[in-house]
Amino acid sequence: MATMLEISDLVVDIRSGRSTVRAVDGISLTLDPGRTLGLVGESGCGKSTTGLAVLGLLPAGGKVTRGSIRIDGHEIVGLREAEARAIRGRTVGVVFQDPMTALNPTQRIGAQVAEPLLIHGMANRSAAMKQAVDLLGEVGLSRPAAQAERFPHELSGGMRQRVMIALALICGPKLLVADEPTTALDVTTQDQILQLFDSLQQSRDMSILLITHDMGVVAGHTDEVAVMYAGRLAELATTHRLFGGYRHRYTEALLESIPTLDTPRGQRLATIAGLPPNLGGQLAPCRFAPRCAHAEQVCFDVEPQWSEQGEHGYACHLPRRTDADLMTESAGAPS
Amino acid sequence: MSIDLPDVADTTGQAAAEDRQAAVEPKQPSMVLRRFLENKLAILGLLLFLAMAVFCFLGPLVYHTDQIHTRLSEQTLPPGPGHPLGTDQVGYDELGRLMVGGQTSIEIALGAALVAVVLGVVWGTVAGYFGGVIDSFMMRIVDSVMSIPALFLLMFLATMFRPSVLMLILVLGLLAWLAPARLVRGETLSLRSREYVQAVRVMGGRAPRIIFRHLVPNVLGTIVVNATFQVADAILAIAAISFLGLGIPPPAANWGGMLSDGLNYTYSGFWWLIYPSGIAIIITVLSFNLIGDGLRDAVGLRAHRRL
Amino acid sequence: MIAFLVRRLLQAVAVLFIVTIMVFILIHRLPGGPARAELGVQATPTAIASFNQQHGFDKSLWTQYWTWLSELLRGDLGYSFKENSTVSALLLDRLPKTALLAGVSVLVAVLLAIPLGVVQALRRNTIVDYVFTAVTFVLYSTPSFWLSLILVLVFSVNLGWVPAQAPQGSIGAVLSQPSGLVLPVATIALISVALYSRYMRSSTIDNLTQDYVRTARAKGAAISRILFRHVLRNAISPVLTLLGLSLPFILSGTLITERVFNYPGMGLLFYNAAVTQDYPVLLAVTLIVAVATVAGSVFADICYALLDPRVRYAHA
Repeated sequence: MATMLEISDLVVDIRSGRSTVRAVDGISLTLDPGRTLGLVGESGCGKSTTGLAVLGLLPAGGKVTRGSIRIDGHEIVGLREAEARAIRGRTVGVVFQDPMTALNPTQRIGAQVAEPLLIHGMANRSAAMKQAVDLLGEVGLSRPAAQAERFPHELSGGMRQRVMIALALICGPKLLVADEPTTALDVTTQDQILQLFDSLQQSRDMSILLITHDMGVVAGHTDEVAVMYAGRLAELATTHRLFGGYRHRYTEALLESIPTLDTPRGQRLATIAGLPPNLGGQLAPCRFAPRCAHAEQVCFDVEPQWSEQGEHGYACHLPRRTDADLMTESAGAPS
Repeated sequence: MSIDLPDVADTTGQAAAEDRQAAVEPKQPSMVLRRFLENKLAILGLLLFLAMAVFCFLGPLVYHTDQIHTRLSEQTLPPGPGHPLGTDQVGYDELGRLMVGGQTSIEIALGAALVAVVLGVVWGTVAGYFGGVIDSFMMRIVDSVMSIPALFLLMFLATMFRPSVLMLILVLGLLAWLAPARLVRGETLSLRSREYVQAVRVMGGRAPRIIFRHLVPNVLGTIVVNATFQVADAILAIAAISFLGLGIPPPAANWGGMLSDGLNYTYSGFWWLIYPSGIAIIITVLSFNLIGDGLRDAVGLRAHRRL
Repeated sequence: MIAFLVRRLLQAVAVLFIVTIMVFILIHRLPGGPARAELGVQATPTAIASFNQQHGFDKSLWTQYWTWLSELLRGDLGYSFKENSTVSALLLDRLPKTALLAGVSVLVAVLLAIPLGVVQALRRNTIVDYVFTAVTFVLYSTPSFWLSLILVLVFSVNLGWVPAQAPQGSIGAVLSQPSGLVLPVATIALISVALYSRYMRSSTIDNLTQDYVRTARAKGAAISRILFRHVLRNAISPVLTLLGLSLPFILSGTLITERVFNYPGMGLLFYNAAVTQDYPVLLAVTLIVAVATVAGSVFADICYALLDPRVRYAHA
């Protein structure tokens, strides 16, 4: 089966004023049809920039300087604006973080949801409105015909995000980019929205690039995970493999900072010391080294290489040893 | 011509009021300065004003002319040796008069802006501090004066008082204090309800002092921007009432008076009586408008008084 | 919405009430008083006393005020001895002409300003933006009477395209000679275009940076569609609000322009009344102008509420 999304060696530079920041620095990943890839990392790690690059919607001053992005086999880097427009909204849909600001405050919901059909010439006005109402019902709005006549500010945050999802899906895209789709929502609503993603993916057979900072979201709703740090890929694996045997020390730190019910009372929650590096400044060869509890001299001298075993890759000099490692080591040790 | 559009935010309900409040949070002075200096048009405005100020105030030190005694034998001479910009209808040297007239125009405008700001700050603070009925009453007075277009009010006042430099400063100031009063009142009102002021009151502290100490940095940017536009407006207003025949009588000179006198000779071809004073007014007013615009962007005000 | 409107209208009435008191007191403090203005400087004290008694000017200021106010509420604005006509008749003749001049000028200014502001916003901080900003700022900084005369010199004296004098006579006569309106309208439109274009520019910039524009781009919309379907509507509403608020500026502009072109509107009437100290006319015109200004700001508030659904429902 052909891959739905294939990013190889992508480099994105963002220029502001006289300085240039390399927001994304040589990442490669693939996403197969019908699968969900979680792209995780702290804010500023380049995950959202990667998502925007896939849509060809980099902010002012942003530019893909190297690499390729293929959607359903078609290269989109270097496309002319008109060609890129034909893909946006039709082949690729997007759900942004804050549904309050992402929707036009002065336009009725139905019209906003129907608009992509009109833009891409896929329906006339009345047919588009009818489809919009149907889809609003499908994403879980009760009395969709009435809701379509309302304005965004009249809906709750969760409902607005459902509208945003309908808007992204109306043209039946094969790929959905969801950029922190639940961050602006309260916890119970978050879960409902994620459930909706799961069921829509089943019914529509589409691929989802789920960008998030929340490891909990990744665990429950993705097939594969890519962990990003400071513009680079730290670790890439199937979700199952990753949670079973994560290797990169950054992944480890991320997972340890999640509180669980098993965390003993009184024990301090692990946090990652320091802040992500300024991408415009001097960077250590292993970019995580300055904050890493396990870093040794080699991490500050040599850039870690990408090593890959089956469906699991990472770039770390001193990876975490898994239970399997320990077993092989003890078995192979001379008696 | 004086213009006093109220803030859009002032009259557009709660949402806009909050908007404005967020916009006037105090900024780092160094940040404001940096952003101002990055604005090319604002720098141009500053340079233009400096040039005009040097011309008007230092020019007479090197270019000596008699601007008191008329010389009817030398009236309306075209530009030539001895008179680079010619002479006017009573024989004054036009270039020298431009300098002296500029001093008056700039002084009146700066004075009027100062009066407006002081009056506006006091009025606005008192209204905002007391709130309630006193506030409503004081603000309705502001609304009322504002509802008569400035030039109409100006004509009114100019027929009542014999114009002089001091009179014009007071009259123009009395027309221009409304906008600062509204801005300061809004800021005081929101400060008064803030927790730290309440806390100081609970502890028996003197709220007026606190308000004043916090008020000044909060509204300073807004007030400075507003005052800059006031100066520009005042220069145009002086010109307008001079044109309407209510300006300062000679031999005192000001650009507005020179310009409206010169206009009597529009069809005689005495272009040197029409263009220099007109251009001087435009350059000076433009400089203040550019500076004000740059300052407003630098301070980060979203609600625009005008322009 | 209804409650909001009622509150706003009550406020407007209160403001106008204060205006009447203010203006009335101001006028009656004019040097010499109405009698001397009417009878001339050589009038004898007896003549003045009998004039004052005849017109009730010997009563207290408050009595005079209440008399004037109650007559005003019955639609009687007084009588102008100078013009030899009732003030109502004068206003009825002049008001439409000023409304025509102001209305057409604002329309022209806004039609220039909207595209200008949008272009400046799209090309912000480029040479195009700077040039338009500079030009509109220079116009805004120009004394309007001077601008009028330059326009007259160029377009009627040198080129002879349009007359330098405004049409005289009734509103019908004015409408039948539209070429005479070109220069007065051009003056007011040119000095005020910066007012609106500057606003349109920043309002458009504000909207272009909103997330919903990114959403529209993500839908695959072209820039023209984003502008016309999304940004323009949201960006224009503050400009329409400004329209109501800019009325005092425009009216001041008509006062000057009517004087320059001798256009027989309310501004010229006011000017003549100020020169001849024609109190009833001064009072009436000031009042009308204040009513217009207050109506303008009420209009601005209503516009704001109607155009932005967020506010519309907040006040519902």
